[in-house]
Amino acid sequence: MSAFLSVDAISKTFTVGKQTLSALGRISIEIERTEFVAVLGPSGCGKSTLLQIIAGLIPPTSGRVMLDGKAVTAPPRDMVYLFQQYNKSLFPWRTVLDNVAFPLEIQGNSSGRSVRQRCLEYIAMVGLSGSEDQYPWQLSGGMQQRAAIARALAAEPSVLLMDEPFSAVDALTKLELQTLLLDIWAKHRLTVVLVTHDVDEAVFMADRVAMLSARPSTIASVTDIALPRPRDTIATRESASFLSLRHGLLDTLLKKDRPGPTPDEVRVTMDGAAHG
Amino acid sequence: MDRTGSRLLPGLVSFVAVLAIWELAGRYRLVNTVLLPPPSMIAATLWQIVRTGTFLAPLGQTFLLLFVGYALACGFGIALGIAMGRSEPIYCFLEPLIELMRPIPKAALVPPLFLFLGFGATMKVTIVALAAFFPILIATIQGVRGVDRIALDTARTFGCPPVRMIFKIILPASLPMIVTGMRVGLGLGLIVVVLAEMLAGEGGLGYLILDMQRSFAVRQMYAWIVILAVAGLTINAVFEFVEARAIPWRSK
Repeated sequence: MSAFLSVDAISKTFTVGKQTLSALGRISIEIERTEFVAVLGPSGCGKSTLLQIIAGLIPPTSGRVMLDGKAVTAPPRDMVYLFQQYNKSLFPWRTVLDNVAFPLEIQGNSSGRSVRQRCLEYIAMVGLSGSEDQYPWQLSGGMQQRAAIARALAAEPSVLLMDEPFSAVDALTKLELQTLLLDIWAKHRLTVVLVTHDVDEAVFMADRVAMLSARPSTIASVTDIALPRPRDTIATRESASFLSLRHGLLDTLLKKDRPGPTPDEVRVTMDGAAHG
Repeated sequence: MDRTGSRLLPGLVSFVAVLAIWELAGRYRLVNTVLLPPPSMIAATLWQIVRTGTFLAPLGQTFLLLFVGYALACGFGIALGIAMGRSEPIYCFLEPLIELMRPIPKAALVPPLFLFLGFGATMKVTIVALAAFFPILIATIQGVRGVDRIALDTARTFGCPPVRMIFKIILPASLPMIVTGMRVGLGLGLIVVVLAEMLAGEGGLGYLILDMQRSFAVRQMYAWIVILAVAGLTINAVFEFVEARAIPWRSK
């Protein structure tokens, strides 16, 4: 019996001009149902590429991703991706309500309660009630990411993939959204893969933290985060075990960065790997 | 309201000033009133045309030609623009041809079109469609190519199939660009329809303006020009009205 979500010997090389660049080298990780896994790594290590391969957005050069026993070759219906760039991911021509209704429209899923009613519930869940008729440009960054979270929930996914979802919001909003997502994760029994470069965030949210090495990335270590749940924004972060886990991970991360790749190499990797 | 008033007032002053100078120049014989009758005389003639409803048939004819040609241009321009914006092979196949034809002032194509399509409505609709087609096509290609990857990826992760992607993401995302092209196309269409009517001589506003000049009905000529100007203004106002409702998300 293999895991619910398994990443099996994934590698990815990009061709930039005449050069080939190895972004990911043989990454394997098994993720259980309802598990919260954070993938941690320095910028340009190919974290986003890995997540996009898991999502079925780009094909791996070799290896495969299996979700619930089926190979992922295109974005699976019950897997949803939360982008870092919420301002580009939300559709500017749709109001908050219509954005949230988008997955339901695509799935043709209008049975039972009215679509509007269901969308309003998701909007309430992320604390956006009253803003449903506003357009994204009328909302603050944090509110936009909340809207994107509501839309992700409307798809009723079993897996939520998050690509540095809070790195573009202010520090306080970030703390609020982390707690909000942990609540949603617990309530909806989601399986989460969170890609981040924020050690604090990874330790605070995840059950396990997989650390990637520099390019071509492999999994350098996997750390169990045995902190009690529900986690508290302030108290958890002050506990001795949190601090020691954070210390350990930061230590490895900073050491691994020296000597780092030259700035030139990092740029090429990012050009090939990220959203351009 | 007050602010709008203070913004409109200077424009009104310049408009009235030009009319007054024109009027006085005529009264004091500073210009030849046979060639340039004062506004008051043109207004009287204009009122005659409006009151009797004489303007309706020619205006209707010109508008019909314009809108049929424009609708064709929008349909083909947007459809081909999406195809070229989405498909690299189609783009490479057609781009040189389009770049070659685009800079030709479409007015120059009226004489050759006479040869193939005669002097009737078909020719005029065709030339309007040709003139409006290119700006709409180019704007659509740019709009479609500019659709953000993340918006497309987002739709894909929700399982949006490729055909629905066009209507759900690509079209709305590029609509502001498309509408900009449509605005340019409409202006060019109006110019070309008037020109075609002048050259083909089968009625319509363009024909009447030239016909009045040739029969030396100078006041009527100016009156028809005013009617054409008001028609152009009206089309533009309608366009802006529709645009504001088609793109309600555009931040003010």
